[in-house]
Amino acid sequence: ALTRLYLDKATLVWNGNAVSGQEELNKFFEMLPSSEFQVNMLDCQPVHEQATQGQTTVLVVTSGTVKFDGDKQRYFNQNFLLTAQATPTNTVWKIASDCFRFQDWAS
Amino acid sequence: KKGRGPFRGKMYSEMNHRSRNRGGPGVRARLEEDDGDVPMSEAHDGPRNRYLPYGPRPNRTANIHITVRRDLPTPERSSSTSRDGGRRNWFKITIPYGKKYDKSWLLSSIQNLCSVPFTPVEFHYDHNRAQFYVEDATTASALKQVSRKITDRDNYKVRGSSFINSSAPPQSLQNELKPEEIEQLKLCMSKRYDGSQRALDLKSLRVDPDLVSQSIDVVLNQRSCMLVVLRIIEDNIPELQSLNLSSNKLYRLDDLSELAQKAAGLKILDLSRNELKSDRELDKVKGLKLEELWLDGNPLCDAFRDQSTYIRSVLDGHELPPPIAFDVEAPTTLPPCKGSYFGSDDLKVLVLRFLQQYYSIYDSSDRQGLLDAYHDGACCSLSIPFGPQNPPRNSLNEYFKDSRNVKKLKDPTMRFKLLKHTRLNVVAFLNELPKTQHDINSFMVDICAQTNTLLCFAVHGIFKEVDGKSRDSVRAFTRMFIAVPAGNTGLCIVNDELFVRNATTEEIRKAFLMPAPTPSSSPVPTLSAEQQEMLAAFSMQSGMNLEWSQKCLQDNDWDYGRAGQVFTQLKVGLVG
Repeated sequence: ALTRLYLDKATLVWNGNAVSGQEELNKFFEMLPSSEFQVNMLDCQPVHEQATQGQTTVLVVTSGTVKFDGDKQRYFNQNFLLTAQATPTNTVWKIASDCFRFQDWAS
Repeated sequence: KKGRGPFRGKMYSEMNHRSRNRGGPGVRARLEEDDGDVPMSEAHDGPRNRYLPYGPRPNRTANIHITVRRDLPTPERSSSTSRDGGRRNWFKITIPYGKKYDKSWLLSSIQNLCSVPFTPVEFHYDHNRAQFYVEDATTASALKQVSRKITDRDNYKVRGSSFINSSAPPQSLQNELKPEEIEQLKLCMSKRYDGSQRALDLKSLRVDPDLVSQSIDVVLNQRSCMLVVLRIIEDNIPELQSLNLSSNKLYRLDDLSELAQKAAGLKILDLSRNELKSDRELDKVKGLKLEELWLDGNPLCDAFRDQSTYIRSVLDGHELPPPIAFDVEAPTTLPPCKGSYFGSDDLKVLVLRFLQQYYSIYDSSDRQGLLDAYHDGACCSLSIPFGPQNPPRNSLNEYFKDSRNVKKLKDPTMRFKLLKHTRLNVVAFLNELPKTQHDINSFMVDICAQTNTLLCFAVHGIFKEVDGKSRDSVRAFTRMFIAVPAGNTGLCIVNDELFVRNATTEEIRKAFLMPAPTPSSSPVPTLSAEQQEMLAAFSMQSGMNLEWSQKCLQDNDWDYGRAGQVFTQLKVGLVG
């Protein structure tokens, strides 16, 4: 169900692992152990239209802690590009890109 | 049998004036078996109970009884470390009719008179009784002494017989296995399962190396653990035919009562070398149609003249079935973490060159040079961790006033102010931040998105402050850049979000390791963090210094294994 938040051609870079497209994203999330996230910090900026060619996009930057099943609690940073998709009735925001890393990914 | 035990006499005499017609013959008969205790109790927990039953009554010395109940201790039990799954002995303290007293009054009255401070564990009521557990024999005997000494509000005296009941640990302290532990247990059981025989060998399960190495304590004589095991059997191998539960210190089979439902086809059950004291235990596992039953090495065997017989049934040879894997429900392993993700070599070159240029200006005494790197309409903001990750030592004070955490900051004016907009404002802001020296070797890059007009990437790395109050503080950062193409090979930043935190000890240790130029004549390529780690490890393992280690690794394309082999061969060659 998480994949519904992503654009069809969205990319996730998860600790250096690149995952593209709905099917791969589906498989990836299924395989990921269950988790509990706590977001402590969130910052955002509108992305300049020259970069997005007029498609309204927001950069979202987050950090906090996460505990995956079978793993210790870790600090993480996760950054998103969210883009607005207009439908006749309303606007839906979708993830165009998602970049996730443990702060201690090397250990 | 009358007159046995230290307190017998007193009790008996006190009992004298009690009405004797409260009990029936049945009670007395049982009591004689139990040292001829007189009391006529209402509730019975079993043949060994001695109750001082009746509570306060008008015109009598009605009493608060403290009963510390005793079983005839068997040698193993009294010193048992196995039964309680730990190193402690547990004793159950009972105050018949304790329910009518206020808990804190009761406990403090006892405590006031008890020579040893005690912590009542799992205080609870059972019918009219108040009960709790204490941890050791010393405490239990001290409590014994308190009997008869407490006076309740109505001036009734405490009276008590004193029996020490060595008890299983209170339910709440028994091991409850956590979900991850249960998954590991499943794997362990999977290894111990022989599909061709449909046989599960749980002998001495507690000391299984896989469980022990992960500090998972599976104590089968505890109900919670046994139930977990049965559940795993039910879910994964209901076709089980042979179950070996030997050497698990089982002293009762109550917890196996559902075995017949969960493994209806069970034919062989090995309960040897446990602590079963009576063949009546077997009544608790009704419904099994066993062909083989092993009971040797249990205390109950001494009571039989002949061992339990068994019928050996020959199992026909079977084809080897496909290996049985337990259905491990939920994944518990994370994908491996990798280094930088560039997507393509071209992008890698582009981004690395950009970063080199950007940071050489950023680390210089004046960041004005960065004006060329930013778009006119660029945005920039800064953030720092919120919460425990930002401890007072090595504080991020310098960054705090500019940090923009929209989750915590609700004021729209402040939110607006903290988002720097236009190139001039952005660079002016950056110039105010502490002067830095970045460790380019520590940089990790994730390219998040790329289109014709947009390149979005994250840079993670380490830097050091080189002046000001926090001089020499080592920080870690994650910086998001969004850039549009500039010229042929350049990038122009439109969005810049910088997250700064304190570096961890390990990050500090690994940072700024870059050795002096290597002896090779070719230009030194920038090492990625991965390579840097490899370098450090190789240097340590080989004993060579960083320069030569790097050369060896480079010459072998950073294939650690190959480099190692080459090195070993060289070394052997040299030593001859």
